[in-house]
Amino acid sequence: MVKLDQINISNKGLTKFFSPIEATILRALWADGDMMTSELTEKTKIPLTSVAGTLDRLVKAGYASRTVDNVNGRVRYVYSPVYSEDEAASEITTRVLDSLVDAFGPLAVENFSKYSGKK
Amino acid sequence: MKIIGELNCIGLCLSLSDFAPYIGLLIVVSIALLAAKQMRARPKNRLFTFVSAQVVALLAILATFYIMQCSEMLTVYLYSSYVVISTILIFGVLRFYDRILVRRLDAKPVDGIMDWVQEFVDALTSASVYYYDSAVPKAFAAGRSIFVSVGLLEALDDDELKAVLAHEAWHIRNNSRTPFLKQLSGYG
Repeated sequence: MVKLDQINISNKGLTKFFSPIEATILRALWADGDMMTSELTEKTKIPLTSVAGTLDRLVKAGYASRTVDNVNGRVRYVYSPVYSEDEAASEITTRVLDSLVDAFGPLAVENFSKYSGKK
Repeated sequence: MKIIGELNCIGLCLSLSDFAPYIGLLIVVSIALLAAKQMRARPKNRLFTFVSAQVVALLAILATFYIMQCSEMLTVYLYSSYVVISTILIFGVLRFYDRILVRRLDAKPVDGIMDWVQEFVDALTSASVYYYDSAVPKAFAAGRSIFVSVGLLEALDDDELKAVLAHEAWHIRNNSRTPFLKQLSGYG
């Protein structure tokens, strides 16, 4: 999902490419920038037990980064988005177009030009 | 077919050798010790008889090895290497598995981010505490090390964390360090 190896065309918005929890977390990060885990769970209203594994996946896949911070003796993760929303959109688009060209070759390219002509 | 040939060869060598009765005696003693292990009640005695049985069996193998006159000793080599490898695995890997985990998880000493944790564990047992990069709250013990994820440090307050650390320290003191020995002695 995070690795874009599975795309659900019928889903809405970001959930075409990400799981619902991943999409919610990414939108929160894009909207508010750096965030601690507790802020993330508050903003997204998703319990910690559900976001923890997803956050690990997002970091591993390179969509989010985090640093360990020690505030008043308390250890905290601070998350930040690696790409802006636009950068993520163009990366996803490139990956999808690549796979279309890989599958259909010249026919895909022909359709791209038709598509941009329509616009 | 080759294995059967070698077994015949071993049998021939044994029957021709003067040592054969002694080897037979060693094997009988070893089996008797294994049987006695099942009847012993106290964990220490169970463990002692089990180790004795293994040592006697090893002596029997060494004696067989010594008197073998044939060239085809593949089965003996195989069994000997099995004994050596499994001994290393059982005693070595379990004891040093934490070293492997530290590298695999890229774990770092907890002193780097929290000051009182290592001190707290030192008072309970001799173990190093490591933290590793994961938001999933987890804690476990291996070898002489305790591992906690950053997610756990984040989620728990000091008292809750102390409870978890004490639990992991208990593993190190009682069970996890040598789970196979505990199992053999039929304890816990």
